[in-house]
Amino acid sequence: MPAIELTHITKSFGAVKAVDDCSFSIEKGELFGLLGPNGAGKTTAIRCMLDIFKPDSGSVAILGGAMSEAKKDKIGYMPEERGLYQDIPLDRCLAYLGSLKGLSRSEVRQRSEGYLERFDLAAHKHKKVKELSKGMQQKAQVIATLLHQPELLIVDEPFSGLDPVNTQMIKDLLREQRAAGVTVVLCSHQMHLVEELCDRIVLIDHGRVMLYGDLAGVRRQFAGNAVLVKTGCDLPALPGVERVEPVNGAVKLHLAPGAQPQEILRALVAKDIPLEQFEIAVPTLDEIFIRVVQGKGAAA
Amino acid sequence: MTRILHVALQEYRRHVFTKRFLMGLLSVPLIVLVMVGLVFLIISMENNTTPLGYVDHSGLLANPLPAPAPEPPGKPAPMLAFADEAAARSALEAGQIQGYYVIPADYLSSGKVELVYVEPVKTAARQQFYDFLTVNLLRDTEPAVAARLLEGGEITVVSADGSRSASDKTWFNSLLPMMAGLAFMIVMFTTGGYLMQAVVEEKENRTMEVIVTSVSPDQFMAGKIIGDLAIGLTQVTLWGLFIVLTVLVGSNYAEFLRGVQVSSQAVLLLGVVMFPSIVMVAALMAAVGATVTEAREGQQVTGIIAMPVWIPYMLMALLIQNPNSPVAVALSLFPLTAPLTMFIRVGMTILPAWQIALSAVIQFASAAAAIWLAGRALRLGMLRYGKRLKWREIFVKS
Repeated sequence: MPAIELTHITKSFGAVKAVDDCSFSIEKGELFGLLGPNGAGKTTAIRCMLDIFKPDSGSVAILGGAMSEAKKDKIGYMPEERGLYQDIPLDRCLAYLGSLKGLSRSEVRQRSEGYLERFDLAAHKHKKVKELSKGMQQKAQVIATLLHQPELLIVDEPFSGLDPVNTQMIKDLLREQRAAGVTVVLCSHQMHLVEELCDRIVLIDHGRVMLYGDLAGVRRQFAGNAVLVKTGCDLPALPGVERVEPVNGAVKLHLAPGAQPQEILRALVAKDIPLEQFEIAVPTLDEIFIRVVQGKGAAA
Repeated sequence: MTRILHVALQEYRRHVFTKRFLMGLLSVPLIVLVMVGLVFLIISMENNTTPLGYVDHSGLLANPLPAPAPEPPGKPAPMLAFADEAAARSALEAGQIQGYYVIPADYLSSGKVELVYVEPVKTAARQQFYDFLTVNLLRDTEPAVAARLLEGGEITVVSADGSRSASDKTWFNSLLPMMAGLAFMIVMFTTGGYLMQAVVEEKENRTMEVIVTSVSPDQFMAGKIIGDLAIGLTQVTLWGLFIVLTVLVGSNYAEFLRGVQVSSQAVLLLGVVMFPSIVMVAALMAAVGATVTEAREGQQVTGIIAMPVWIPYMLMALLIQNPNSPVAVALSLFPLTAPLTMFIRVGMTILPAWQIALSAVIQFASAAAAIWLAGRALRLGMLRYGKRLKWREIFVKS
């Protein structure tokens, strides 16, 4: 049973179709990437998942059925637009948000202490939220999202505004959550982080699902007929190579239709070229993203 | 229900423990204290304890009884007898007396006295002399009769059902419901203002999106309304305590504060007209908060709600003069004008039971409709950033 299942959902605002016949499912315990350019319909899709918006058509099943008040306690949501009460101290803000998730005062205190220590916020817990830096507020929002130990975590751009140390901390935290069996939906524009963390992805553009599946499969789908070669000397002309493109100190050899990477490798060895690197060129998620949103990729 | 209480408690704590609330809370006692202080200042300015002289040609004050003590905070001015006008004038010119009365020999037939002064003698001192004169004129009258005459006449108007009475000395009883009505109006707009501010702020600081994944919009709105009503209740309770204290202490000094009574109809109106009105206005303000994008914009829109609420205040003279006119009845039944109209009228007349009942039904129905409207506005407008929700959409959208 998937943690979330969207079946042909459509949601329009006036004449604009924010989500257009989207279908995908997120399995329990996976770290799932929800990608798309700005205005693609990601947030609307999330709001439909969370029952904040009712889809015009289609259905949403979350944690095995329709959303209920009890299920809300099993979900942690961190929206892209951060929302904390600015005029109250951090500990009171966490206590309030925790209480709305059904936590007792002592549970909130006990759990928040641990997180505050871990995120270096313990010394700032009595400060008003507005007195905290942007990065601190970001971490506080993460704590508020995790405090009730959700089964399903939906985090929208959790890395924005964080320095490398805190980015690493959030990455570790998301991995920990997955390891603990929590389903994590990660919405981010930082493709290298998605690539690093996610098992599967869906890419939405103009409200439609453009790509959907496991990350390795998606990359293979977009892998052209090319190899990446790194060598200390100049490459001679090779049969079956149509074009040579320098890439970060290496070269990408674009092969002619029908040419096989093994043939190129054999030719290089035959010519006694010292090889430092030889691999099938697989596009990065960044490249795939750009190709899809610029219309160079097919819809899933 | 627990979540609703958590929202309510958060709302209550957010506002009650702020400087703004405390300032608002202290404003009424402060205004009352300033007013009382001004009254005392005016009275003390009226007070002149320099003796008043008199020259009695009538013989009525040959062996006078002392002048009755004035009502506090008035202070007595001693009455000095002079054998003739020359002596009195010398004392006046020497500043030993503030003025002197000449009581002619034919005073009992003419009823006229003459007052001689350099600086005009204040009303309080003149009243003291008249009381002194009256006491001595009545010295041979039976004490009980003399006391009644000294007290003066008092006409008490009693309602046909005997439940209410009013007289010159209890005018404060008529004024009290009106003052209570105005105090509740302040509470109404304070509560509504907080609610609107809260909804706009939740949208502005983006907490709304987090909150609605924990509680439903209806629970959220219910919690906010309960929290803000509790704030209003705190305010009015503390003001009420202060007023009770003022009346208790003040009745030692001011006659109009003695025998203060609150009519049972006024108490009934609090529950069946004022309470639903406060809920209605608060919900309407919350609905405004859900439709606008920033607090300032909301304040402009709330003027439309506030205007009809204050119409009875503008028509106060008409309502006092003729509290049972068709206009007064109509205003008592219209949802936004009913609370203040009813509270002005109840001080002046006995309200027919059917009017209270009908007004109460209308107020409760209006409050329910306003809550429904606010809930819908919140559901549709809670995640609209930078774009207003049109009122048409609230009614049309599914």
